[in-house]
Amino acid sequence: MTMNTPSGDTKHLYDGKTVRSSAPSRKKLAGQAGGSSEIPKDAIPKVEMPSFIESLLGGPLVPKMKFLAPDRMVQNLQLGVYGVLVALSLMTYMVSPPEGTIWYMVTGSLAISLIMQLLIIGLAAGTGFWGTFQRDGRYTLISNLLFILAILRFAASKVSLSSDPFGLQDSPLLLNILVVVYAVLLVMYFELTNGVIRYSMLDTSIRTNEVYVMNPKKIVGKYHRSLLINPIFAGVLAIIVLSANTILPLIVGIFSTDTALRMEESVELISVYGVALGTFFVFCIVGGLFALNLPNHLQRFREKRAE
Amino acid sequence: MWSRKSAMLGSLAVAMYLLGLTLRNEQLVTIAVVIFVFLTWAALFGGHADVASSGRRSEEWSGEEGLALNSVSAMRKLSNARLFEDGELNVTLRMQNESPLAKILEVKDRVPEVMRIKEGSNYILMELGPRRETFIEYTLECPLRGFYSIGPVAVRIQDPFGLFHKEKEMHVYDDFLVFPKMEDLKDTFVKSRVPKIFTGAVNIRQPGPGSEFYSLREYFDGDSFRAINWAAYARSGKLMVNERERDAVSDVIIIVDSRAVAETGPVSRNALVYSTRAAASLAKYFLGRRDSVGVIVYGDEVVSVDRDTGKKQLYVILTKLAGAVARGNIPLQVVVNRILPHINKGSPIIFLSNLEDDPTIVNALRDFRARNFDVTVLSPSSLEFEFDAKRIDRTGYEVMKTERDVLIGELRTLGVNIMDWEPDMLLSTALAGARGF
Repeated sequence: MTMNTPSGDTKHLYDGKTVRSSAPSRKKLAGQAGGSSEIPKDAIPKVEMPSFIESLLGGPLVPKMKFLAPDRMVQNLQLGVYGVLVALSLMTYMVSPPEGTIWYMVTGSLAISLIMQLLIIGLAAGTGFWGTFQRDGRYTLISNLLFILAILRFAASKVSLSSDPFGLQDSPLLLNILVVVYAVLLVMYFELTNGVIRYSMLDTSIRTNEVYVMNPKKIVGKYHRSLLINPIFAGVLAIIVLSANTILPLIVGIFSTDTALRMEESVELISVYGVALGTFFVFCIVGGLFALNLPNHLQRFREKRAE
Repeated sequence: MWSRKSAMLGSLAVAMYLLGLTLRNEQLVTIAVVIFVFLTWAALFGGHADVASSGRRSEEWSGEEGLALNSVSAMRKLSNARLFEDGELNVTLRMQNESPLAKILEVKDRVPEVMRIKEGSNYILMELGPRRETFIEYTLECPLRGFYSIGPVAVRIQDPFGLFHKEKEMHVYDDFLVFPKMEDLKDTFVKSRVPKIFTGAVNIRQPGPGSEFYSLREYFDGDSFRAINWAAYARSGKLMVNERERDAVSDVIIIVDSRAVAETGPVSRNALVYSTRAAASLAKYFLGRRDSVGVIVYGDEVVSVDRDTGKKQLYVILTKLAGAVARGNIPLQVVVNRILPHINKGSPIIFLSNLEDDPTIVNALRDFRARNFDVTVLSPSSLEFEFDAKRIDRTGYEVMKTERDVLIGELRTLGVNIMDWEPDMLLSTALAGARGF
């Protein structure tokens, strides 16, 4: 519906009547009806509809909070990420030679696949750096995915290195440790980039009085300790799990030396399937412990011991 | 409980593990194993908390709690159980850790959405030592009337990486009441034509025994010589006597429209908010004048406060007004039919409504006028609230405003004292406008 200015004048409604208390501003408005019935843009309320992914995840994938300038804790975490990023990029290059990559399968050219691999690692490092610097979760997420893409190789049952300055290829244990260190670095990279966002959120919430933190040093100290302790434990445990193909023959060797020798030389056991088998056994045990409610028992034990 | 982060890491690990086996890629399997170990370690030993990394807020908590939270308890104390709009409420929350182990806790005391935290915080991250307690204090600003309750207290404990958490909702609730705020009125210009003799009376607009001057009239036999106005006699040459305004108390009935349509407009600026504040101010004024005041609030039901006097009556009325919720659509005619037999003829009736979505308004008010009730209508305009909030366009506003003006005009012809109450107008100004001052 449109209303032109002349016909929009409603003054005739008041003709011959005494309108005592109709507000003057309203009378003024009544004579100024506009020529358009277009709804002003700011009149439409903003409705935040979650996207399909947000609905699946129960919230935004990347927090939409605007952060204040980073504090010392966040700056330190950012520095930590940069350090890990450099180490991770170098190690990714080391443990993912171009042979067996998707690019090698597609092009059949070692040079092209090397360039592609270097490009992906470079991009992963670049987006990781930018994402951490800007504290933008989208870039760090892309970086994480690119690092995973870089490690996707076919027919790599045995670990091979593209660059081996220390001759690690000759020692299965050292090679194992190298791969575990690489994996730990990757997981720590995931955690640290997430930590930058989390502590930026916390810092902003504290500074905008949304959250009050009592004794922040202790809480931050706990996180710092965990950043050191957890990767060490994770690394050691992972080495034990991944050495199942060595540990199993040792255990079997107690009962039968011949069987142990056959197991040691078995292609299946020293390949990725051996690793998978070992992992399966270990996690069956872990699953069993959880099924027995070990975390709760552990908590009860700690409470009792403290008493 | 798994956080979103741990669920994503777990899924990634499973995917990598299976992909590693398919592609015969040991690095992928190794990464998957490290992630599994990382998660297992956090699940086994994660007894402490830090910031909510998962992006989940305590509102979404489902209440899974572990042993670690069994020994945590909470108590709350409020500075007031009753206060007025825009008042402040100090909340003290006592958190107690009865365990011999220190705990890092995330505590959120849930407050009503309309409240603003003025000082302190209701969301705290803290380390609570073994067998220790701590007090959390914050101040709430209460901008809107109503019955409210604070609680529950949500407590969360999680591992340093935010992978797993345990949560507990402590059902500690404290209720409080926010009364509508009141405006000090010098005069309401509303006076009854029907006196009700009572001790401690106030003047009504009728001559009679009283203390305030009403008018001059000629002397009749039997008039007291003390009432003769000698100055007027000197001026006019006729014996003139002073008439005084008759002192009496009267019944005042306030009707508040609390139908769903009364809440049209922003939460803090709508007809119901204005009506309840006006009703509270008027009740205070009339009770201060020692009138009997009765209040009727109607929406999905008719709630009435019987006429009475005194300070206690004010709080009874304020409590009813605080609890008025915009619901239902009872026509005014139903309310009028119900109350007519119970009110004294000629009593002042003050009706507070946005006059919307009720075709019976004209007939209902005509019924009042036909029985010689002194009807005053204060009508906060929902249209103005909506227009100010830019929810309706100019054309729509003009059309609806015209309809409203026509309705107001029609009511005025019935002898109803009516005022189109604009949002920025003081109550006293609106009242004066309604009464033609």
